[in-house]
This record gives sequence, C-alpha cells and structure tokens, in this order.
Amino acid sequence: MTLRNLKPWLFLSPALLVYLTVIFVPAVYTSYLSLFRWNGVTPDKQFVGLRNFIDLFMVDNVFVKALKNNLLWMVGSLVFIMGFGLLLAMLLNRKMKGRTAFRGIFYFPYVLSGIVVASGWAWMYNPTQGFINKLLETIGLESWTHAWLAEPKTALYAVFVAALWQGVGQPMVLFLAGLQTIPQEPYEAAIIDGAKRRQTFRYITLPLLRETFLIVVATTMIGSMKVYDIIYGMTGGGPAESTQVLASWMYYQTFRFANIGTGSAISLTLVLITLVVIIPYVYYTTKKSHV
Amino acid sequence: MKKWMCALVSVLLAALLLSACGSSSNNSNGGTNTGKQSSQPAAGEKVKLSIWVLNANWDWVEKAVEDYRAVDPNLEVEVTHYETDPIKEALKVAASSRTLPDMWFTWGGSLGSFYPENGLTLDLTQVAQDHKWSEIYNKAALDMATYDGKVAGIPIHLNVLGMWYPKSVFEQAKLAPPKTFAEFEASLETLKQSGVVPLAFGSKGGWHTMRLTEQLLEHFAGPELHDKLSNLEASWNDPAVVKTFEKLSEYTDKGYFPKGYSSLDPAEADNLIYQKQAGMVSEGTWFDGTISSEGFDNTEFDVFKFPTDQKPERATVFSEMFQLNAELQGAKKDAAIKFGEYLTSAEVMNKYPGRSPAVLNANMPPEMPHLKTLLDHANDGGFLITDQALPQEVVQKLFEAQDKVAFKEWTPQQAAEEMEKAAAAYKAKSK
Repeated sequence: MTLRNLKPWLFLSPALLVYLTVIFVPAVYTSYLSLFRWNGVTPDKQFVGLRNFIDLFMVDNVFVKALKNNLLWMVGSLVFIMGFGLLLAMLLNRKMKGRTAFRGIFYFPYVLSGIVVASGWAWMYNPTQGFINKLLETIGLESWTHAWLAEPKTALYAVFVAALWQGVGQPMVLFLAGLQTIPQEPYEAAIIDGAKRRQTFRYITLPLLRETFLIVVATTMIGSMKVYDIIYGMTGGGPAESTQVLASWMYYQTFRFANIGTGSAISLTLVLITLVVIIPYVYYTTKKSHV
Repeated sequence: MKKWMCALVSVLLAALLLSACGSSSNNSNGGTNTGKQSSQPAAGEKVKLSIWVLNANWDWVEKAVEDYRAVDPNLEVEVTHYETDPIKEALKVAASSRTLPDMWFTWGGSLGSFYPENGLTLDLTQVAQDHKWSEIYNKAALDMATYDGKVAGIPIHLNVLGMWYPKSVFEQAKLAPPKTFAEFEASLETLKQSGVVPLAFGSKGGWHTMRLTEQLLEHFAGPELHDKLSNLEASWNDPAVVKTFEKLSEYTDKGYFPKGYSSLDPAEADNLIYQKQAGMVSEGTWFDGTISSEGFDNTEFDVFKFPTDQKPERATVFSEMFQLNAELQGAKKDAAIKFGEYLTSAEVMNKYPGRSPAVLNANMPPEMPHLKTLLDHANDGGFLITDQALPQEVVQKLFEAQDKVAFKEWTPQQAAEEMEKAAAAYKAKSK
C-alpha cells in the first residue's frame, strides 16, 4: 500500500478511533447485552435469546405505551417544531427592526438544559398556583383550567408544548441559514412573471430548501426518538406511565431496576425504529437533492 | 448512489449514537477493580474520601466534615449531594460502571440490598463486633443494615412515619386526632367540608402516595398478610388489596387529594401542609427539621399514628445508612469506617439535630418536638416502608396501579391482578 493510499486513513484515524471506542463498540456491546438477563454487576449473564424483546412487545404494557408516545412525539415534532421553525425563519429572514434580537430570543430556549426548562414549565403548569391556570382564571376562562400534567389525556401534550418552546430555535436557525443561501434572482424573475407570494414559496423557497429539510427532518426525527430529559423532569413518566417514552423506560429498566438486558433491548429497538423511519426518507430525498 | 450512501452512513452514525446511550458498562468480567481505589494510602498519609448524600436537610455533612478535621487533619472529604430519586439512579449507574464513591447514603430494604448482594459494599460484620455496634446503634436500625447475616452499612437514621397535621386546621374543623379508621375517614370528610385539602399527597415519583396506600393495606390486610405481600409470599390478587385500591379510588373521587395530585411533586404537596391549606400528610421523623428548614414553626404541627384498627397497630419504619465501597483497603478503609462512625455518632447527631438518629445515646433535641412521639409509635412494632420492602419493578407497578386506579383506567380488581402479575414475573426471573 502506497503512502498515497494510506494518507486518508492517517487523517481519519484520530476521529475514527474515538468513534469506534466511544460509540461503535458500546453500541455493538449493547446489542449483545440485549440477548442476556443481567443486573449489570454480577459476573454471570444468563443468555435468554430474544426473550427480552418478546417480553417488551408481548408483556410490557409500559413499553408499548412508550413506543406510541415516541411516534406521536415524532409526528408532533415534524409538524409543529419544524413548522414553527420554518415560519419563524421566514419571518426573521425579512428585513425588519430588531431582527437579530428576535432571532436570539427565539433561539435562546434551545441553549437551556432540558431539566431547567422542565422545572420552569412544571411550575407554570401547577394546577393551583401555576402561571397557566392563573392566566386562564384572570382572563375569565376558569372552565379551561386543568391539572395539565396530572391527567393522562393532557400530560404528554403539555410536556410537548414545553419541548416546542425549547426546541423551535434549532430548526429556525437551520432554515434561516438555508434561506440565506437562496439568491434573490429567482424571486425577482417570478415577481416579473406575476407569481404570488404563495407560489414563490411553493415553487422557489421549498425546492431550494431541500437540503436544509433533509438535515432538519433527520435531526428532528432522531431528536424525537431520543427525547428524555424534559419528560423525566416534568412528569417522571407519569401519571400512570402515560408520558413514558422509550428513552425514559430504557433508563428506568437499566438504572432503576438493574435490568440491563431489557434496557439494552429497548435501546436497540429505538435504533431500529429510527433507522426504519429515517432510511427511506434519506434515500428518497437525497436521490433528488443536489448534495 | 454515492449521495444517498453518504447520507445513509451519516444517519447510521447518528443512530449509533442513540444506541450507545443504552450501554451501561463495558465491564463484563464481574471483577471489582475500578482503578479508582488502586492507590491505597499508607497510615499517616493524606486520605481523600468521596461521599454521596441527599440534598434536602443534609447541609450538616459539610459542617461535620469541617469539625472532623480536628480529629483527623489528614482526611479530605469530597461531598456530593443528590435529590431523592436521582441518588437511587446515580448509585445504580455508578455500580454498573464501577464508579461508586467511597461511601454513600442509602436506604435499607430493596433500595440498599443491591450493593451488598452484588459484593459492592464492605462487609462490616467484624467491625461491628469489634466496635460493639450493638451497644451503640438501635437494634432495628442495625438489623435493617444487615443482609444475609452480614452488616453492610453504618446506620445513621431510624425513621418512623406518622400522619402530620397543622393544629390550627384541626382546631378550625373541631377535629381531634382519629383513634379508629372510621374516625379517620370521618375526619377526611370534615376537613373537606371545612375547605382544606384533606390529604396532602403528591404522586410524582409515586412514593408519597404509596405511604397512604401501605397504611390502607395494613388496615385491610392486617400485619400478617401485609408482611407476606411485602415478601411476595402471598398473592397480590387478594380482596384486601382490592379494597385498598377501592379506597384510593374513592378518596380521589371525593376530592380528598390536592388538585392534580398524580403529577404533584411531594415537596409541593407538603407545601400545602406548611401553609395550612391541607389537613394531613404521611411524613416521618425528619419532618420537624423539614418544617423548620422551610421557615415554618414545627410546634404549630402535630402528628398521630395512622389508625389501622389492627393488633398490633404498626407504624411504617425504615432505616438509612452509609455503605462503604468494597474496594477500600488499608488506611483508607480504616479512615472511612472511622469517619462513618463519626458522622453517625451521638456527638454529631446532637450538634446537628433535625433527624432521627440510629445511634442509641443521642439526645431528644428540643428542635424536634415530635421525635419522641413518633419513635413511641413504633413501640407496638413497625413494617418496612413499601418501596424498600418490595423489589423495585414491583414498586414501579404499584405506583402505576395507584395512578391508574385514580384515573379509572384500571378497576381495583385489575390493579390487584396487575400487581400479582408483576410479582409473579419478578419471582420467575429471580429463580
């Protein structure tokens, strides 16, 4: 092998080594552990084959609930977090006074820790002393007040609103970056041709944002499968396990109940679902993209 | 083709990141070497100890560490504080990644048993004998720090729980502490009518409301069956369990709990008691200190024993201890034991009151006017608090059952059946 052939590997090796050690090997090991019953400490692991997976899907009602919640969260994130992110980006891409300040304001929650956001919003949702119910009472909508986090029907959505507040800044920044790469000429040509604003959005902005969408959709999907801290902080998975998601249930199984095999099986399921959802999307989109 | 392969590889890499989060440990040999304690200091050298403790009301530890410098100037102690649920999880994470501190606070029962059962704690049986711990610590506390005949921790607190109430709220409602279960239920209705929340429980995390559930279970099942249920020796699909869940459902329907109690933080629920907006709550021997630290006068509150109508009428009890890392050796081990004995000593307990000591000759501090009453509650006997008596998976199912019964997602009968299923699954797994 010539030096020319070795060179790329030489440059790649530091990052590749770190990646293999910190990510790849533990991931493979996690897959291996999912086939065992083990408490994480004892030297003996009991091989159980696919039993952990079968139990998750056939016996564990919380896992099924968590899985549904993750999928719901993913749809919500794609519609609302990405949607509002795009809307804000479009608004803040215009020439207007205070544009930079607004960009900072909307991006600011994203840099906060999930637990900080969770604590703040949990207080806002407090059924008796919280800001939201107090506000509703003040404006005469007392009948709308709820124990938002305490009712299984509203708890997940209430947490999602907090996540939306926190997360909308990230797609906004990505879309803003994408919008700023679009030249003015196509818009000018379209206006001359009599195109309406809606049409320029549909036929110019959206197609030219294809690469940005690829990134935003992929990160939003992965982010929604990983969601954990805000759930843990606001509801701890309750009430009645109604807000459990795969990551929180994996954490509970692994570190609360010391069921490393079950936790690893949830982790692997999480990855597989993410891949099943994302690979077709990436394949389809990149085939049409310019990257 | 190239484009989508590149993108696919990127996504795969990102997904692997997710997967890596699930692995807890790369140590499969079951050995106990962490490398952390690899260099053990010789006698007379500087010794550094790490200790994990709780957050609320545990600021005295730093002061005690300072005091201890006079005893052992060579000892340097790094204290880390955790909230209630996070310390349970942090210890499990540390256990599986072999990064446990030198000493840690833990509760007894199933919360503390994981570490000695897996060889992670120092066997203190010989030390206990040599240092005559049986003459120093309360027997019950020492028993609860003993697993399989081996002493696995230095007991620090022996806690007894009771029903705390603001005196003014009871006076206003013209109520006396109930002596029977019927009186207890009548007082709930009276409190409701007088405009306060009768039961200040917050179910976030599950354990706060569990304290009421276990008293109801003691009432309906009686001591013998309750103990069998806790030891998974009797079926949870039992009429007594069904009646217990029926009561929880009934109390929820009658509005005896705070609004949104199923997601209310226990601290927020206690806040209703401090502010005299609620009638009663099940708290323990530490509560005098908690009330004071929240800026309220603990003499404005009183406590009664939950009337289970059973003979003996038992109170909920549990112990707390310091466990020591099995890796400790030589001078570091000696220093840790000595320091643990100091932290749990009557000297420290008397100097920093506000807790219920496991040590025998500590004073009854005037700052804790209800300590003696609560300790007397356990004279007729006690039962171990449920989240330490049951395996943690079964505990989690109980928390789920409490909530689901309240929301009518499960009938009380279904809740009992689900509890039995969880208990059976745990037993099958443990075989």
